[in-house]
Amino acid sequence: MSPPASFRQVTAQVLANITLARDTFLIRLKALEIAAAIRPGQFVMIRLPGRTDPLLGRPFALYDTVLDERNQPFAIDVVYLVVGKVTGLLAQLRENDTTEIWGPLGNGFPEPLGREHVALVAGGIGQTPFLAHIRELLGQRGYGGDKARRRVERVSLYYGVRTADLAAGVDDFQNAGATVHLASNDGSLGFHGFVTDLLDRHANPEHLYGCGPEPMLHALAQLAHRKGIPCHLSLETPMACGVGICFSCVTPVKTSDGWDYRRVCVDGPIFDAQALHWRE
Amino acid sequence: MPDLSVTLGRLSFKNPILVASGTFGYAREMAGVVDFAKLGGIIPKTVTRQPRIGNPPPRTVETPSGMLNAIGLDNDGIDHFLAHHVPYLRALPTAIIANIAGKTEAEFIEMAAMMGLAEGLEGLELNLSCPNVSGGVDFATDPEVTRRVVAGVRSVCPLPLIAKLTPNVTNIVPIAQAAADAGADAVSLINTFVGMAIDWKRRRPILGNVTGGLSGPAIKPLALRLVWQVARNVRIPIIGIGGISNIDDVMEFLIAGASAVQIGTANFFDPTVSTRIVDQLPSALETLKSGSVVEVVGTLSA
Ligand SMILES: Cc1cc2nc3c(=O)[nH]c(=O)nc-3n(C[C@H](O)[C@H](O)[C@H](O)COP(=O)(O)OP(=O)(O)OC[C@H]3O[C@@H](n4cnc5c(N)ncnc54)[C@H](O)[C@@H]3O)c2cc1C
Ligand SMILES: Cc1cc2nc3c(=O)[nH]c(=O)nc-3n(C[C@H](O)[C@H](O)[C@H](O)COP(=O)(O)O)c2cc1C
Ligand code: FES
Repeated sequence: MSPPASFRQVTAQVLANITLARDTFLIRLKALEIAAAIRPGQFVMIRLPGRTDPLLGRPFALYDTVLDERNQPFAIDVVYLVVGKVTGLLAQLRENDTTEIWGPLGNGFPEPLGREHVALVAGGIGQTPFLAHIRELLGQRGYGGDKARRRVERVSLYYGVRTADLAAGVDDFQNAGATVHLASNDGSLGFHGFVTDLLDRHANPEHLYGCGPEPMLHALAQLAHRKGIPCHLSLETPMACGVGICFSCVTPVKTSDGWDYRRVCVDGPIFDAQALHWRE
Repeated sequence: MPDLSVTLGRLSFKNPILVASGTFGYAREMAGVVDFAKLGGIIPKTVTRQPRIGNPPPRTVETPSGMLNAIGLDNDGIDHFLAHHVPYLRALPTAIIANIAGKTEAEFIEMAAMMGLAEGLEGLELNLSCPNVSGGVDFATDPEVTRRVVAGVRSVCPLPLIAKLTPNVTNIVPIAQAAADAGADAVSLINTFVGMAIDWKRRRPILGNVTGGLSGPAIKPLALRLVWQVARNVRIPIIGIGGISNIDDVMEFLIAGASAVQIGTANFFDPTVSTRIVDQLPSALETLKSGSVVEVVGTLSA
């Protein structure tokens, strides 16, 4: 069952758009209602107004909410990697330009099982949903109108990149209180190899959360299964609407009699790793 | 306040703005953002006799000012639709038109009979533009098949009928004429145009299904011309569909000869577009010094 829709569509003013790493930017968008309602793991659709090419919005995870002087959320930060049409144009936006956004969308991260130690595992641009998640887990900030409440003692972030200059937001994660373990495919930063191999060498956390390219998520799901650790994955499936009305974002999910497609935008983007039907 | 209501055969809507099948889910997804009471009507996603898993992803790809889709009629089948979606839909304060696709003529008739027994539906739209599994042909590429399906459905189902036609034909006029002759209350023009997208570096099609249906602003001029052509040649009310994204598009379709319109792809990139257009309709009519929607339908001076 999909959660009831309660998103908002607004014209959001760009408050800042700054470089974080190679081809990676943080854009700050003024959107009071969305900022007040959104929770870690949820996402927004962003569209460039006044043009039909590119036509569709694109999904982006909440990086974090931004608070005003009275500690009320009034804007959201999104961190994006330039890979194509919309992200290329986003990078050209200046303060006071506008975007069309709708959200909050998707289900958000579930509560961890265990109070001691959870690990977040990110690959590529998959680190973006984890800043707000860390802050929520460590009780630094409440989201969606909730009061801040500490949920676990310790959070580790395992963050893998192709190469060092693509690592974005590492300071933010450390400042939020996570222990950050870095890995890179070419050995230019931290552990030389896959982030899942690094994770495999460390003591087991009580709960795993992953976000990144599909091969990484698949490896993480297998590791979690082998070690018997609860694991939730945030999928990055391409989307046309983000709100459940087009049926383009589907992923195969196990059912009682095999598998069926589920819409990632409304039934996800976060799924229990063991519920996903992985195709070889 | 101008009169926004429209009547198409046995169908009547409080205003001419409907949302198109396959582009508004089963409506509940939009409950928080769209005030359903403002809409002329809602056409939920096509249902089939049996559940269908749909096509493998990627199912959609963006193209210049449009998109290609090959969803493959992913749905849970008519039994689930009647048990799970109709009770929700019929309680909404707007007209609900169910949309069905049969694999065969017999299946269309069987499903139409089932829909006819359901309470709370305003009408039935026949998706005649979906590939017939046996021959791989669209029903609505053949006037005779169109006539038989519509007449067969009409004989078992008391609901007002809309025949939704495909633009992928040499001449749409005889097909619309066949639907009219067989007793359809209206025709919906049009479904998507078959197209494709290629990733040349990998020498592969982008869609899992290779081809897909083109929709969005890119097809609006093509759809307008088809509406105009049918309006001039066939005596049947028309629901215009194709790329409609704003009030100007709606007015163009009305003037070309559509009595109502459906908004499709625009719901994806502008989720609140449908009710915004309804709000803008009175002032657009005032621009034309018209007291009603009906007055402007088919008033192209050419
Ligand atoms: C829930 C969610 C959260 C996300 N969060 C973030 C985030 O926080 N930060 C971030 O940077 N990204 C995030 N993404 C990914 C982001 O949505 C994409 O990178 C973005 O849509 C790219 O848009 P674009 O117009 O720049 O690229 P496009 O021009 O659309 O294309 C990008 C690349 O994908 C290829 N491509 C396009 N369409 C298809 C297709 N149908 N099949 C196969 N390949 C295709 C293109 O060839 C190109 O290489 C998230 C995705 C999801 C689903
Ligand atoms: C993703 C998608 C799914 C669709 N699914 C259906 C469907 O299930 N049944 C149907 O009759 N038409 C379907 N259509 C066609 C639309 O209802 C409409 O006829 C077409 O897209 C043209 O209008 P537009 O350009 O405003 O989208 C679909 C279109 C899209 C883009
Ligand atoms: S993106 Fe449209 S249903 Fe998920």
